[in-house]
Amino acid sequence: MKLKKWIQSLIFYEILLGMKETLKHFLKYRPITLEYPHVKKPLPENYRGMLGLLRYDDDTEKCVGCDLCEAACPSRVIRVVSAEVPGEPTKRFAKEYYMDMTRCLFCGLCVKACPVDALGMSQEFEWAVYDKRNLQLNKEQLLAIGDRAFPEREKRLEFQHPNVAYFNVSFKDIPEKEF
Amino acid sequence: MFDTSIKLALTLSQIGAVMGVVLLTVAILTLLERKVLSWMQDRMGPMEVGPYGVLQPVADGLKLFFKEDIIPAGANKIMFSLAPILVLVPALIGFAVIPFGPNWTIDVMGVEFKPFVISDINIGVLYILAFASIGAYGVILGGWASNSKYSLLGGLRSAAQLISYELNVGLAIVGVLLLAGSLSLVEITEAQAGGFWNWFAFDPVPFPQFIAFVIFLIASVAETNRLPFDLPEAESELVAGFFTEYSGMRFAFFFMAEYANMILVSCMSTVLFFGGWHAPLPVLQAPGVFAWVTGIFWFTAKVYFFLFLFFWIRATLPRLRYDQLMRFGWKVLLPIALGNIVVTSLLAYIFPNG
Ligand code: SF4
Ligand code: SF4
Repeated sequence: MKLKKWIQSLIFYEILLGMKETLKHFLKYRPITLEYPHVKKPLPENYRGMLGLLRYDDDTEKCVGCDLCEAACPSRVIRVVSAEVPGEPTKRFAKEYYMDMTRCLFCGLCVKACPVDALGMSQEFEWAVYDKRNLQLNKEQLLAIGDRAFPEREKRLEFQHPNVAYFNVSFKDIPEKEF
Repeated sequence: MFDTSIKLALTLSQIGAVMGVVLLTVAILTLLERKVLSWMQDRMGPMEVGPYGVLQPVADGLKLFFKEDIIPAGANKIMFSLAPILVLVPALIGFAVIPFGPNWTIDVMGVEFKPFVISDINIGVLYILAFASIGAYGVILGGWASNSKYSLLGGLRSAAQLISYELNVGLAIVGVLLLAGSLSLVEITEAQAGGFWNWFAFDPVPFPQFIAFVIFLIASVAETNRLPFDLPEAESELVAGFFTEYSGMRFAFFFMAEYANMILVSCMSTVLFFGGWHAPLPVLQAPGVFAWVTGIFWFTAKVYFFLFLFFWIRATLPRLRYDQLMRFGWKVLLPIALGNIVVTSLLAYIFPNG
């Protein structure tokens, strides 16, 4: 037994074993690399990527300016300046909506907090920029992200649920309620 | 006068050709190393520049060429600029005595000219060893002149390492010198003519130099600062060792010197232990005037095998600790090398016509 060990260390047995292993990988070359910019890894369905603001199918913004996302966000990414819709005193909207994506940790709490599902997380992740000021997004940019990431849009709430309570009296062309 | 100018022109063109081939090989090696390493590690290596990344060396060279050349504050400017040259020139100059084809002498307009070796001097082995030692100066000076603790530590480490392992390289070669009876690399190659059983690594009588070859290989891996003996560089501990502060073309010099040294020691192991340009079987050698074709082919094949071995070892082994390195060099390799000399000389004395 001792002799065997001796001989093994004499002929670098362990090193030869290791070299055999590397040679095996060399001859049976099966790379696990994904050539990233050319080949993209499929993302999971619930991937939390770039945030975007959504619209209804008639191009009106979903956001009602309630500030709940701002309150929910742990890293104070969001700033909402809400205002009345001009001429429609019962309806509010986000006059300005800013996101500082340098701080966002993509936790998705804002999406969860929104009462009207006005926020969505797209599958976009290639947002590296040279100037980090480019990551301070305003409402138009966020809406653009939402537009390109979510081409399928919901109907307005009133049309989704025919029996929903009508609080929005200024809404023109009030449809007939179905009973 | 006419003779001298012809000789000059011939020699210069020969030097140009050899340097061209060596530098081209360096460029190929930088790509090949990354490719072989990544293949062994289930990766792809460079794939972007050119088809399958084959133009990567060109891109690397251009990048290094146009990079800013920084000399750190407080550095010794003369030494700092001298060190890369001191490393690169000895690495390239060693190729002057390497025979890469048959030992022919052709007559060009009355001038004797050896096409396959730049200069056949009778102390070729000593010459290479001497210049390898000068390369160590470049490493140490580069580390010292940079005015940086990482460089200094890397330089000191490599000083100790190069000195310890140079000894083993020298002692491992002594067996071959005893058998060949010459220090000229051309004559050592001539002494190994015939099949692979005449190569000094395998030649059964008087004593096969295979152990010496293994020692030579290990010590030369250490000499060229390659893994697992890359303590002077040690990216993970010393940033990049003695060339931490170097950038641009000066860094490229160190880089080229490392690869040129690899080629040089591969050539040396080919010539000293594996028969130089001789084919492994006599039938694989082209007869007559075409012997140089197979000669260069076999020489290249053997050199590339050793270069592959370098990459292979790098992909397999982790880096040694400093005390392990020293212990291995002085307490393991040195006694074995000395024992090899004793046994070889005894057997060579008993079987003088082996
Ligand atoms: S994902 Fe999280 S961190 Fe980002 S904006 Fe929404 S709540 Fe804030
Ligand atoms: S995005 Fe949603 S939560 Fe945020 S202000 Fe608009 S409606 Fe409220």
